[in-house]
Amino acid sequence: MQNDEDFFGRQLPLRGAPTNGAVGQRALRTVGDRRQCQRCGQWLAVTDRLANGDWYCRQCLQLGRLTSQHELYTIPEPNRFARVKSGGLTWTGQLSAQQNVAAQAVLRHVKTRTDHLLWAVTGAGKTEIVYPALAWALAQGWRVAWTSPRVDVCLELAPRLRQAFGGVAQALLYGGQADPYAYCPLTICTTHQLLRFKAAFDLIVVDEVDAFPLATSPMLQRAIANAQKPKGCHLLLTATPGNDLQQQVRRRQLAVTYVPLRYHGHLLPQIDLRLAWRWREGLLRNRLPSTLIHQLRGYLTKHQRFLLFVPHVVDLPVISQALQLAGIQGGVTVHAADPERPAKVQAMRDETIPFLITTTILERGVTFPNIAVVILGGDDPVFSTAALVQIAGRVGRSADFPSGQVTCYCHSHTKRVRLARGMIAHLNLQGRRQGGRP
Amino acid sequence: MSACIWCGRQLQTTLTLAQIWRFTPIAQATVCDACQHRFAAITSQHCPACGRQQMDETVCLDCQRWSGIRLTNHAVYVYDAAMKTYMQQYKFQGDYALRVLMQAPLAAALQREAYDVLVPIPVDQTTWRTRGFNQVTGWLRNQPFQQALLVRATHKERPQSAKARADRLRTPQPFILAPNANQLLRGQRVLLLDDVYTTGRTLRHAADQIYLGGAKAVTSLTLAR
Repeated sequence: MQNDEDFFGRQLPLRGAPTNGAVGQRALRTVGDRRQCQRCGQWLAVTDRLANGDWYCRQCLQLGRLTSQHELYTIPEPNRFARVKSGGLTWTGQLSAQQNVAAQAVLRHVKTRTDHLLWAVTGAGKTEIVYPALAWALAQGWRVAWTSPRVDVCLELAPRLRQAFGGVAQALLYGGQADPYAYCPLTICTTHQLLRFKAAFDLIVVDEVDAFPLATSPMLQRAIANAQKPKGCHLLLTATPGNDLQQQVRRRQLAVTYVPLRYHGHLLPQIDLRLAWRWREGLLRNRLPSTLIHQLRGYLTKHQRFLLFVPHVVDLPVISQALQLAGIQGGVTVHAADPERPAKVQAMRDETIPFLITTTILERGVTFPNIAVVILGGDDPVFSTAALVQIAGRVGRSADFPSGQVTCYCHSHTKRVRLARGMIAHLNLQGRRQGGRP
Repeated sequence: MSACIWCGRQLQTTLTLAQIWRFTPIAQATVCDACQHRFAAITSQHCPACGRQQMDETVCLDCQRWSGIRLTNHAVYVYDAAMKTYMQQYKFQGDYALRVLMQAPLAAALQREAYDVLVPIPVDQTTWRTRGFNQVTGWLRNQPFQQALLVRATHKERPQSAKARADRLRTPQPFILAPNANQLLRGQRVLLLDDVYTTGRTLRHAADQIYLGGAKAVTSLTLAR
């Protein structure tokens, strides 16, 4: 009835035992008078009960409901796929000297199966740096997962990896997709999908490890640990590691490789901080800080395209209107729940609109050549230190336009903005030592 | 501090002075305001036969096409995108906790109806085993109801929600009366309760059986139309 391959390293919920020799365990384990979901590791509330008396897990409901009638079946991962000698790498690009140094370090750590953090600035070419290590792992016959908490990162990555690793079968998994599951040496998936796996992967590459919701979700962190073989290892990629990761690095519990320079060898643009005292009160009267208006007018006359980041979705129409009144026209607003979001971002890429007013959703994963960034209300709690560094990282990503302006308007000085400036300064210091140019 | 049962956002509860002075337990909200107001309630301008929201109060075309007994149905909400999402998560994904969302509005709607016996539409045995609950009775808090209908054991069909209108209308009678139904129903005004009124086929089949059981009058209430 079921294919053996579907069970390799997975945990499939079934009501009756399958015909192949898959091992089952109860989906909801009773410990004392509490129940723990064996897929997501969360504890059930006393109210999570159906009318017929069965229990069910509400935390991982999105992946299909688990009740106390279900058992999770698995066959231990046998790594049964055709081995590709060269690792299947068909990428023909060249790594820069400093990318190569980082790539060798990553390869060394993967070979010794140690957990590792690749701390590379925005626009350093993280993906390409991992290619040699990935090729080596695939040549060993390892099963590898490349995972990210953000589905748009996965969707953007999949075609790139398909091109770079033409000789390797790849599966892309995310919520709500149409394609059925396939057993492949290389799996690209969202971190949620890892909940379906158990001791499957020899190497897990976690892209954007500090992104929402992975950083704050114990369920997803457990999913990564669970999907990895006991002898496997993981490789974390980020430009802005959170406090806990930085602490692990300082305590030497986690190996780290820095890439403080972008692939074109230029330093990161520093955030230019400007005070706009009580700008929110001004906005009530449809007025924006005069310094901001002046700056944006300057951008429009120079035909410099820019992104304007604002704290909340509710601020978008208000600020858009205030800009119109000030004579700064032609921009569009975009936010997470906007159905036309891909079209608007594409329009910005096609240079048909002069600027976008956006919330933090465009903080990572988007590249526009020759762009300036303005943050209004950078002291708002929604702009974390990591978010600010990522936003600043939108500027100067292309080799043709390696510099640009990042301006942050704040009501007052805050620790988050200071730390973000500190992090950029620290990376630039390291970059300068490696010969970076401003 | 608790989270909204549907969207998972933290609930912002503000304690008022009146609540402090009352010295009674404070009712904990389980649903946030945004989620509670996501559904469109049906106003007084609806079809008098099926309860569909429309611009006037005349009998709608779908109802005119029905011959035979006349069934008066009332509905609480419009079956729009938000309601579809809710049904998908509650009924088909099986998140039984979401029943709480509809308990208060349905209790208010039941208050407005005049009836003696409340009969929810039953689910068949297979559904009871796999889904684990009857989606209709889940919305009832303490209101008494009678399981006067059963699903025929031979009734093995695709679910109504998977069919087109013409197929739905051809569905054979799926219900039988429960063994004690005659004593329960004789001379009573019966209110049928269902989740969604789409073509009215299911409710009419149920009403036919209830009339066979000796009921004086049958009306129906659905959550959505």
